[in-house]
Amino acid sequence: MPTVNEQTRDGLVASLPALLALALGVFPLVVLFVESIGPSLGVGSYRKALSPLYRGALLYSVGVGVGVTGICLAVAYPVTYWLAHRCPARYRLVGLVALTLPLWLNYVVLNYAWVWLLARGGVLNRLLVGTGVLDTALDLLYTDVSMVIGFVYIYLPYVVLTMYVSMERLDYRLLQAARDLGATDWRVFVDIILPRTLPGAAAATLIVYARIAGAFATPAILGSPGNVMIARLMVQAFREYVDYGFAAALSFVFLIITLGSLALGAVSPRVRRELRRW
Amino acid sequence: MVSMVTRLFERGAGRLPGVVVAATLVFLYGPVLVVAYLSLSPAPQPTVPLDELSVRWYRAVLEDRRFVRALLNSAGIGFVTAVGGTALGLAAARTITRSRLPTTVRRAVTLLVALPLFVPTVVVAFGIGRASDVVGLGFGYFPVVLGHLFWVLPFTTFLLAARYAELDGQLADAAADLGADRWTVFRTVTLPLLRPALAASALFAFALSFNEFLITFFLAGSAVTTVPLEIFGKVRIGATAFLNAASVIVLVISAGVAGAASVLRQPA
Repeated sequence: MPTVNEQTRDGLVASLPALLALALGVFPLVVLFVESIGPSLGVGSYRKALSPLYRGALLYSVGVGVGVTGICLAVAYPVTYWLAHRCPARYRLVGLVALTLPLWLNYVVLNYAWVWLLARGGVLNRLLVGTGVLDTALDLLYTDVSMVIGFVYIYLPYVVLTMYVSMERLDYRLLQAARDLGATDWRVFVDIILPRTLPGAAAATLIVYARIAGAFATPAILGSPGNVMIARLMVQAFREYVDYGFAAALSFVFLIITLGSLALGAVSPRVRRELRRW
Repeated sequence: MVSMVTRLFERGAGRLPGVVVAATLVFLYGPVLVVAYLSLSPAPQPTVPLDELSVRWYRAVLEDRRFVRALLNSAGIGFVTAVGGTALGLAAARTITRSRLPTTVRRAVTLLVALPLFVPTVVVAFGIGRASDVVGLGFGYFPVVLGHLFWVLPFTTFLLAARYAELDGQLADAAADLGADRWTVFRTVTLPLLRPALAASALFAFALSFNEFLITFFLAGSAVTTVPLEIFGKVRIGATAFLNAASVIVLVISAGVAGAASVLRQPA
C-alpha cells in the first residue's frame, strides 16, 4: 500500500511537468478563446475568419495538407515495403536512419536548399536545358510546385517512419502465399498490403497533414506570394495588423478542424493504436 | 512474345520499390549536397559549375558577429532546453510509468504533456505569444525557453517512459529490501540504468530546440535572434554563398547531435 507520504511525493513530481503543460498548453488556449470572442462577447472575429475572403485560405491550407500527405504516402509505400521486406537485414537500420535523418535537420535550411535547385538559373534548369531535355528554363521557384516539393521534402521522413512500423508488422508469408496462388503484384498490394497497413497510413496522415496546413516557413521560402496559407494570415494579424481577435478566431477554427479530424481517426481502434506510438 | 513482355513488366514492377528507394535517397540528399558544393564558391553568387573552390564564406560566416551571436543564442537556449526538458521529461515519465497516483491523474498528465503533438504548432506559438504578453512576460529569452521546454516535453517524456517501462522493477525492489530509502534507490539504481536514455533525450531536445523556428518566431521579439530566425530572414532577401556556408554549418551541427542521440538510444 502506498503511504500518504509517497503519494504526496509522487504528486509533487507529477506537478512539475503538468504545471508547465497547463501554463503553456491550456492557459494560452483560454487566452486565445477569450480574445476570439472579445472585446464584447461577440462572434464578429469568427464571422470575419469564416468570410469568403479568408475561407479560401483555410480551404487552400487544408487542401495543400491533404494533397502533400497523399504524395508522401505514395512514395512511402514502396519505400517502406522495400525496407521492411526486401532490404538485406544488415542494411535495414542504416536505410531507416538515412531515410529519417532529415527529421532532425533544420527545415528552414532544408527548404532554402531548394531555392538553388529550382531557380531559373538553378541547378535543375541548367541540367535540363544543358542536356537538351528542355529548350527554355522552367519557372518553378515561388509557385505551388516548388512549395509542394518543399513540403514533401520536409514531411516525407515523418510518413516513412510511421509507415515503416506498420509495414514491418506485415507478415511476409502472407504475400508469398498470395503469390504462390497466382496473385499479381497489383492484387497483392490491393488485397493484402493496403488493408493491413491502412491504419498506419491513417495515423501518418493525421500526424502530418495539420503540420503542413499550418506551416509558415515553407510557403514563405518556396511558395507563391499570391497563395496565402492560414499561418501567414495569423502571423500578419499578430505582427502587422495587431488584430488579435481575428488571429485568435482563426486559431480556433483551425484547431477545431485538426482536432475534429483526429477524433474522427481515433474512432477506429486500429488507428488509435498507431497514433498512440506518437 | 506477349509472355516475354509481361514477364519483363512484372520483373520491372518487382524492382519498382528498390528504384523508388534509390530515387528517394537522391531526393533527400541531393539538395543538401548541392548547397554544400555551392558553399565552396569563391564568388558571393555561385554559378554552376564552380571554377575553383574556396572556404572564404565559411570564414566570413564565423567572423560575422550577427551570425555568431545567433549561434551562441541557439546553443544556449538549446542547452537550457536540453537539461530542463530532460528533467521535466523524467518527472513526467516516472509519473506515467511508476507513480502510485490514481490512473485518471496519470492519464491527465500524459494528455497534457502530449498537447503540442495534437495542437498545430502555429496555434501553440501564437497562443504562448499572446499569453506571455497578457501576463506581462512579453518577449525575449525567458518566453522562448519556456516555449521550447513545452515543445520538447512530449519527445523527452515518451523516450524516457519507454526506457522506464523496460527497467527491471525488481532491482529497485531488491535495493529497497536491503534498506535503501527511495531517494537512494533512485540515485544509485534507477538513474544509472537510465543514463544512456537521459543522454539521448538531452541530445534530441537540444536538436529540436536548435532547429525550432515557429515558436521562436512568435516569442523572440526584436532583441533575441537564433540561427533559424537569422537564416529565415536572410533567405527572403536572397540566396548567397554566405548563406550556403551558414546552412552547412547548421546542418552539420544538427546532424551530429541527432546522430549521437540515435547511437545512445540503442540499448546496449
